[in-house]
Amino acid sequence: MPAQVLGENEQLKVEDLVVRFYTYEGIVKAVEKAKLTLMKGETLGVVGETGSGKSVTALTIMALTPTPGKVEGGHIYFKGTTGETVDVLSLKEAGLLKIRGKEISMIFQEPNAALDPLFKVGDQIAEAILAHRLPEMLEKANQLKKEKANNSSFLKSLPILRNRSRDKLLQQVVRKEILELLRLMEISDPERVIDAYPHELSGGMQQRIVIATALACSPTLLLADEPTTNLDVTVQAQILDLITRLKRRFGSSIIYITHDMGVIAEICDRVAVMYAGSVVEVAPVLEIFKTPLHPYTKALLESIPRPGSSFKSIPGTVPNLVTPPSGCRFHPRCYHAMEKCSREIPELKEISKGHCVACFLYGDA
Amino acid sequence: MPKNRLWNSEHPRIKELVFVLRKLKASPLSIAGLSIVLLFTFLAILAPVLAPTQPDRDPYIMPREGYASTPKPPNTEHLFGTTEGQYDLYYGVIWGTRSAYRIGVLVVAVSTIIGIAVGSLAGYFKGLIDEVLMRLTDIILAFPGLILAMALVVAFGRGLDSITLAIILVGWPSYARLVRGEFLKVTSEDFVEAAKAIGCSDFRVIIKHVIPNTIFPLIIMASLDIGSIVLTAAALSFLGLGADPGYSDWGQIISLSRNWITGAPGNPFAYWHTFIIPGIFLFLFVIGWNLLGDALRDVLDPMIRRR
Amino acid sequence: MKPILVTKDLKKYFPIRGGLLGTRKGEVKAVDNVNLAIMKGETFGLVGESGCGKTTYGKTIIRLLKPDSGRIFFNSDGSLPEDPSDELNQFDIAGLTRGKLKSLRRNMQIVYQNPSTSLNPRMLVKDIVAEPLIIHKICKGEEAEKRVLALFEDVGLASEHLRRYPHEFSGGQRQRIAIARALITHPKFIVLDEPTSSVDVSVRASLLQLFKELQQKMGLTYLFISHDLSVVEALCDRVAVMYLGKVVEVAGSEELFDNPLHPYTKALFSAIPIADPKTKRKRIILKGEPPSPANPPAGCRFHPRCSQAMDVCRSEEPKLREVKPKHMVACHLY
Repeated sequence: MPAQVLGENEQLKVEDLVVRFYTYEGIVKAVEKAKLTLMKGETLGVVGETGSGKSVTALTIMALTPTPGKVEGGHIYFKGTTGETVDVLSLKEAGLLKIRGKEISMIFQEPNAALDPLFKVGDQIAEAILAHRLPEMLEKANQLKKEKANNSSFLKSLPILRNRSRDKLLQQVVRKEILELLRLMEISDPERVIDAYPHELSGGMQQRIVIATALACSPTLLLADEPTTNLDVTVQAQILDLITRLKRRFGSSIIYITHDMGVIAEICDRVAVMYAGSVVEVAPVLEIFKTPLHPYTKALLESIPRPGSSFKSIPGTVPNLVTPPSGCRFHPRCYHAMEKCSREIPELKEISKGHCVACFLYGDA
Repeated sequence: MPKNRLWNSEHPRIKELVFVLRKLKASPLSIAGLSIVLLFTFLAILAPVLAPTQPDRDPYIMPREGYASTPKPPNTEHLFGTTEGQYDLYYGVIWGTRSAYRIGVLVVAVSTIIGIAVGSLAGYFKGLIDEVLMRLTDIILAFPGLILAMALVVAFGRGLDSITLAIILVGWPSYARLVRGEFLKVTSEDFVEAAKAIGCSDFRVIIKHVIPNTIFPLIIMASLDIGSIVLTAAALSFLGLGADPGYSDWGQIISLSRNWITGAPGNPFAYWHTFIIPGIFLFLFVIGWNLLGDALRDVLDPMIRRR
Repeated sequence: MKPILVTKDLKKYFPIRGGLLGTRKGEVKAVDNVNLAIMKGETFGLVGESGCGKTTYGKTIIRLLKPDSGRIFFNSDGSLPEDPSDELNQFDIAGLTRGKLKSLRRNMQIVYQNPSTSLNPRMLVKDIVAEPLIIHKICKGEEAEKRVLALFEDVGLASEHLRRYPHEFSGGQRQRIAIARALITHPKFIVLDEPTSSVDVSVRASLLQLFKELQQKMGLTYLFISHDLSVVEALCDRVAVMYLGKVVEVAGSEELFDNPLHPYTKALFSAIPIADPKTKRKRIILKGEPPSPANPPAGCRFHPRCSQAMDVCRSEEPKLREVKPKHMVACHLY
């Protein structure tokens, strides 16, 4: 893998990603040459509506493209804690297992769908810990055993019971770790929660568990797919606050997917706007609100309801991705559409420092 | 496919049917199932043409040539040979297709109607009605199906009509259960409450809103069930509980070959045609409907989910 | 402004059944003594978080649910007599049954949150929208189809959409179909239960514009239930805030968002993310989890999470009182 593909500060680079879904109705061209770059330690917001391809892109970063989707092109370069750059799409299952949950973790939109209703939440977090941090936990268990060695009875030193006592110690160690994690999630009564089943917890609490599971192994990259969309606004505020604080503590980079521009304004450093499968604009958060360039971004910002003014919407509907429009996919709904827009697909070009647009209105080259 | 007006019609229900047929074309197994079912349907319709009847005889009674007990193998006069008692096997299996369809369709239709009636009441009104009706189905389902059917046929007196009635009585609880389950699922949907909000009476809600959304699973169940219904009827006929000997019914024909299954000393397959041929018809019929049912389920399921 | 719908001490409880014989173990007090007055022609917003009872309230006042106690006074012609009076009682719909309920449905309608599940997937769009006409025996056949088409024009659909199934439409279009169905009998009062929550942001604005236009054109009164406060602020005339089955504050939209008085309202508003990276809102983070409506706290229901709770809050329930002109709060601080 060419080491210079990722720059010094770059964590993840999605290049020309193509994902297609083979369905009953035809081939859905869900993601068409998407480009994204994530810097170390930053929060990149991905905004888009139905059909923009944002969720599919996020899942593909973990090589979890839902069936009947197939990745048909592009690369996803990722640099983890090892310092090595890998192309996620070229990894086999063994390599992916090392990354998922450990280097890259994901938080989903529906917390009660992400949690298995048959297991206590503590067990589900333990699963993540044991999958990736087993050596560390065993080490701690051994230490604990040594401390107890002097007090152990003759029975416990029998070979059959030795493993059992070690397993019990392992359980203790993992449990302590989980309680610590839950306290980090600002859960005030972790002892009760750790033994609860998902349905016994509220939505906000469930989402905290999901976040705890995702952060259990201190991942380098956290993917958050609309984690607060289904939560009440006060709970959302708590969770956003939590995520910001945890990010500072763990130093992870976050890709935060949402359709809520308010949330973007709150927690993101840079923003990528996606429409119908491609990235149409990328810019730092202040700039995207102050000077949006792409007509879609402008229209999206204008459609946010404001008291007193009339409601502005974007004419037309999201295109059918089985038969998408030719050229720029936004052109049928664009006020500034030119003749060129229906023929060619605009490339994502850097117009000013850190601000890229895919639109023929800008940067003729 | 010829692009005539019907195929390209804008009417939404026809578009749906065209969609279903096109999807059925896709898999070889479903084409096989569909072809077999169509073949049998034609056989049943064209029975009088393929095996002409005689004017003063019940068409379902097989013509016989003599009264000798030893079956004759296939020859130029009798295409498939004769059974014990010299009944023409070819005639028997052709008209047996009609018998099979008669039983199958009748049982499925009546079971479905009873199932919808019972299941819809139980699933829509819930509460006490649901409890009572479901206990009733529990009682019937507690008995092994074939045994209960046999007992009922003995009680009603033998004959194909008794078999039909017995299988209906044994089979309707499964349909009721399915309908009830679907009702419980559908009535929790918003559009049912929306129908009540615009002023629909309970009756109208059930008929116009809930039942059309429960039809697909019923169609799938019915098509998968026809095969096993005909098989059960054949089993009961084989045991002697069905029509009289000489009637064109696959189970009955196989029953005539009871003494000849082991064949002649030294030649175990001497009389293979007496049971293998009707057996093949039965086997193909059941498999054809099963394949079609499976294919329908693969097509209709995503259509149900397509919201 | 005259009231078109008034609820007095409205209660709707849901029994919790458990145990072997399904005995009544307790109740979820979804709507607990709610007194509200909605004026004719206005858009009345009802906000609150999940479990506060706003959807239950909306469904109860149009008699989709039967209230356990209390009165619902509704006059489709627009003005209710003064309270209390004998005249007023004849407009009480809380206890109506079958026949009268059906004719009520011509005047009160509801639009649901999720248009994918609120439309019968096996019915053609034209049948879905025309059904109310057939049920109330207003017209049928060709005449009904003409009316459906006329209404389609108002909601932004076309004649080629008539003979299609709901799944062939986008979310925004499906919601328009649901709106058409609600409006076909020219009702006077519509409950909008989070009608824009399930559609895309860009489509939301067009639906809100449509609501405004239809209201002017057809003289409608809306109860707009939502948890999306920015939409409520932009669309509604007056707003009520609910918490755990009770109304805690009612005021004009501008007044409420500029000067929230109740501690819960203040916390709620401070939690809305602002679409402007430069302004940092001072967050009031509420302690603890929202309590369950089956076991509400004694006294003021909000007191366990309130930073300004006093002793009286633990024992006595505050009444909804007018503390500023046209601004009512239920809080012991005032």
